[in-house]
Amino acid sequence: MTMAPQRRHWITWGLVLVAVTLVLVNIRAASEQTYVPLTYLLVVLGGSASGGRRLGLALSVASFVIIDYYLQTPYDHLTITKSVDFVTLAAFLVTAVVASELLAAAKRDRDSAVRDAEEVKRLAADHEALARETEHVRALREGDRMKDFVLASVSHDLRTPLTAIKAMAQDEARTGSSRALEIEEQVDRLTRMVADLLDLSRLRAGKWAFSPELNSAEDVVGAAIRQCTALERSELIVARLDETAPALYGTFDFVQTLRILVNLLENGLRFTPTGGSLELAARRDGPHLVFSVSDRGPGITEGERERVFEAFYRPQGSIADLGRAGIGLAIARSLATAQQGMLSHHARDGGGSVFELRLPAADVDPADLGEG
Amino acid sequence: MVVDDEFQIRRALKNALREVAERVLEAGSGAEGIDLAATHHPDLVVLDLGLPDMAGAEVCREIRRFASMPIVVLSARHSEEDKVSLLSLGADDYVTKPFSTVELLARVKAQLRRARTQLIAPTEAPIVAGDLTFEVGRRSVTKSGEPVRLTPIEWNIVLALVMHAGRTLTHQQLFDAVWGREFGDPQRYLRVHITNLRRKIETSPSSPKYVVTEPGVGYRFEMP
Repeated sequence: MTMAPQRRHWITWGLVLVAVTLVLVNIRAASEQTYVPLTYLLVVLGGSASGGRRLGLALSVASFVIIDYYLQTPYDHLTITKSVDFVTLAAFLVTAVVASELLAAAKRDRDSAVRDAEEVKRLAADHEALARETEHVRALREGDRMKDFVLASVSHDLRTPLTAIKAMAQDEARTGSSRALEIEEQVDRLTRMVADLLDLSRLRAGKWAFSPELNSAEDVVGAAIRQCTALERSELIVARLDETAPALYGTFDFVQTLRILVNLLENGLRFTPTGGSLELAARRDGPHLVFSVSDRGPGITEGERERVFEAFYRPQGSIADLGRAGIGLAIARSLATAQQGMLSHHARDGGGSVFELRLPAADVDPADLGEG
Repeated sequence: MVVDDEFQIRRALKNALREVAERVLEAGSGAEGIDLAATHHPDLVVLDLGLPDMAGAEVCREIRRFASMPIVVLSARHSEEDKVSLLSLGADDYVTKPFSTVELLARVKAQLRRARTQLIAPTEAPIVAGDLTFEVGRRSVTKSGEPVRLTPIEWNIVLALVMHAGRTLTHQQLFDAVWGREFGDPQRYLRVHITNLRRKIETSPSSPKYVVTEPGVGYRFEMP
């Protein structure tokens, strides 16, 4: 592709050189000698500009020989007799070569400028594509953020009307209306669902705040049982703690650990038959403080053991209703993991399930208590 | 007095509060609430934080400038930091929406009782809470007539809680009351002291009925 126009330039300017020479040779006797080098200089510049440096140099040398041979006295000889002719020829050659080089340099600059411009254009295109992609990712992330925000604010804003309905139902209940109690139960159910949604949005946004501190097992167990008293059949929960043995301590976040235990108790109550019991215990196991919630429910099969910790998973044959989004265990596990703990499920001897929460244990030296 | 912009909530609360109050004032905005508190000096204020005209915390702070009646806050927020900041702004207790009116009434009664006993109780008289008797002057506690041996820090903790019975003291307020402005390691052990204290004064330390944990916020002494 590049050779064809290049060869055309050489042929064209070769022919121009021949034509100019023929004309000048024909009028050489009559014309002024000084116009000759200038005319050839024009040819060299023209060839240089269109055909490049090599054509320019070739035309310079050819013109030099032609001028010397045909157009300087003595004609048709390569010898130079007059010093002024020598200077003219030398000047011509230098001018022609320098002009060719300058043109070539200018052309190179222009070419590289064009290449740069193309590069810039290409980069700009790349950049644009990248920007579009970034924009897309940003839009996705923004969408995610919006979704979490909507989840959070909707569940937050729902509390006020829920409060109003609950207050009105309780107001009605005072007059002895049994429907009012049912309304209140449904409000409580809706409230739990809203709380689950809020939890899920926090979980997704990674917005749990943890402040692991020295805490006692008794304290968090007591708080968990207290928080569960509002639940139906909460009287089935039994705390198994040896309060005569030294107290058990661990380094954990009180609030989040409480949430884990409450979630486990809520879950366990669902599978505890009326008349049965749901045991909450704590023990020390090497570097771990272990909380366990044990039920005598139907248990969980090997295949479902890990799946129960997935969000929105419901064990086979479980009652679909229960008013929960099925994320309690998923939240519990992520809260455990986030504070260097572990939450696992084991089959219970004699039937049922044991959920075990392991957290870093701590030892308390009475000398550190600051009592003089 | 009830400060809430939702008419339905105001009406339901008014009906519920009639059990404990002769007269219930209503305010539909923060500004109105501050005016009424200044002119009528109610015995207690139930304040919704989600008011349209000004932040509930601001209302709380304004009322505290001229009055010391108990303020029970209704909050739609869940976070423990919010609760801690409200308590340190001068609120006496809070209930998270949606609450049961039974629960709110219990809190209101506890606050009214606390406000009244604070007015009449001479500090030298023994304070009786269930099977516990506190004699402040002698720094002694008895449980069912039997003396309970508390360490100095345990005594300071229980004293701070009892003097503010019914009110949740934040961890910081307890640190200040027990350790003063001293900072450092001993405060790490607040929960250890509470655990030891409960083992001495509670019948069942893992389901305490006197020293109650307010998760992430602090502790509260409940009068049975």
